Amino acid sequence: MRLIDWQLAFEEHLLSEPCAANGSFAATLQGGPTLDVDTGLAIYHNAYLSRLKEVLCHDFSAIRYWLGDDEFAALSEAYIRRYPSAHYSLRWLGERFSMFILEHLVAEHSAPLAELARLEWAFTLAFDAPQGTPLTVNDMAQLAPGDWPALQVSLAPSVQHLLCRFNTVAIWRASRDASGFPGSQALDPMQICLVWRHQNVCHYRSLEPDEACALAGMATTGWNFSELCAELAVTYSEGASLQAATWLKQWIQDGLLEFRAP
Amino acid sequence: MPTSISSLGYGLGLRSEYYQQILEQSPAVDWFEVISENYLVQGGKALYYLDAIAERYPVVMHGVSLSIGGPHALDTDYLAQIKQLAERIQPAWISDHLCWSRGSAHQLHDLLPLPYTEESLYHVAGRVRQVQDVLQRPLVLENVSSYVRSKADEFTEWEFLNALAHLSGCQLLLDVNNVYVSARNHGFDAWTFIRNLPPESIRQLHLAGHMDYGDYVVDTHDHPVCDPVWALYQQTLEHLGPVSTLLERDDHFPPFEELLTELNKARELAASALARRSLCA
Repeated sequence: MRLIDWQLAFEEHLLSEPCAANGSFAATLQGGPTLDVDTGLAIYHNAYLSRLKEVLCHDFSAIRYWLGDDEFAALSEAYIRRYPSAHYSLRWLGERFSMFILEHLVAEHSAPLAELARLEWAFTLAFDAPQGTPLTVNDMAQLAPGDWPALQVSLAPSVQHLLCRFNTVAIWRASRDASGFPGSQALDPMQICLVWRHQNVCHYRSLEPDEACALAGMATTGWNFSELCAELAVTYSEGASLQAATWLKQWIQDGLLEFRAP
Repeated sequence: MPTSISSLGYGLGLRSEYYQQILEQSPAVDWFEVISENYLVQGGKALYYLDAIAERYPVVMHGVSLSIGGPHALDTDYLAQIKQLAERIQPAWISDHLCWSRGSAHQLHDLLPLPYTEESLYHVAGRVRQVQDVLQRPLVLENVSSYVRSKADEFTEWEFLNALAHLSGCQLLLDVNNVYVSARNHGFDAWTFIRNLPPESIRQLHLAGHMDYGDYVVDTHDHPVCDPVWALYQQTLEHLGPVSTLLERDDHFPPFEELLTELNKARELAASALARRSLCA
């Protein structure tokens, strides 16, 4: 058997379900004095699945908390079969987990569960995103008064945005605290949740609709500070500048923003 | 302190569980081996600690995903990232495993054995040369633990490693525990394996623990080094002289002090083995 054919047969064995070595492949192998070929192949087969399942357990601990060990193990195994790892780093194994949940489970169960998976994946993305150069309060103190109206910002590279239709953050927090499952509930209105890394620690925060709109206006639409104040004037009238400055200071203290390149 | 110019001394695998203690306590560890893939990221805590530790200690990069014997084309993007990380932390050398870990389209995330045939030998040797051309340094390859062997083997594992080192110019990371594990599983003599390797090619040694199931042994890195592996380590050093030694632990992490105690045991056993070598010289 050529090397490549032998390797493809080995791969087929690892990906097979359940562990059942192809007879013609097993016939190309030899065991040892007290280690037979079937046991040797089972060691590789079990190691493949258990290593990948352990990664998903780590990256989606809140999903596991929700489903329980057995159901989570079954879901993980189905995911690994459907989407075998394509990246050399196991860090990317769970990239399609939330999408798979939508494909694999009935809609009424899948939507809140997939949203929780997206939240957990957001933490993974924030954890090792590029550092960037987050704005500091000191940077702002050095900004000349005449430069404030034209100030433009963008989100720091680690910031992840989630639109939450369910009480996903409460469920995630309950899993972290190992407290009782709060039950899944739809949110009305929906909420924006941010996940980001600041000074090497991951943070999260849900935003009220006004703040979410203001942040999106500046960081995504590209409003400058003067335009933000003008937009806020509709709601806050003469208090608009104070509200804009309050939010801006909060975002900067949180490490959410960078200067927008001209 | 390192025992000679060519040896870095006695090191530990750098694991996130111990980052903070290493920075706060500056433990008496001569060097650290880092799992390359853990740091092929763009930012975050892992890189922060790696940079800080690489400023204080010599480091070596140890990969698990090169798949040097795989059926696919070498991953040039992966290699470029390895090179970039090496430029960042200036490792004393870069190692990976004599194995394959990627199949036709999927990453298998295991250190899978190769048939020891002439076809495998030339396949791997050619790819080692490609890697060395990119990295501009010798690649260091580790012998893996294995649980099946190909009936088509034309060489013993040590003959294969010898031939590969000569054909490609690669160096060897001799994992003493892996030799023990494979020797038990396949019924060969561990010392025959080690004494037949080319001494001049051996750049580093690994020590680790395993799970002994009686009929077979599984390389788990979740236990202290066992007595037969310590004995084999001493025999190896008596034969080779001082070689950079690395203690690995990848699961069931003990308090850091326990690892330091185990590393000191390696130092003491090595000192007595090297003293016996001097007497016999």
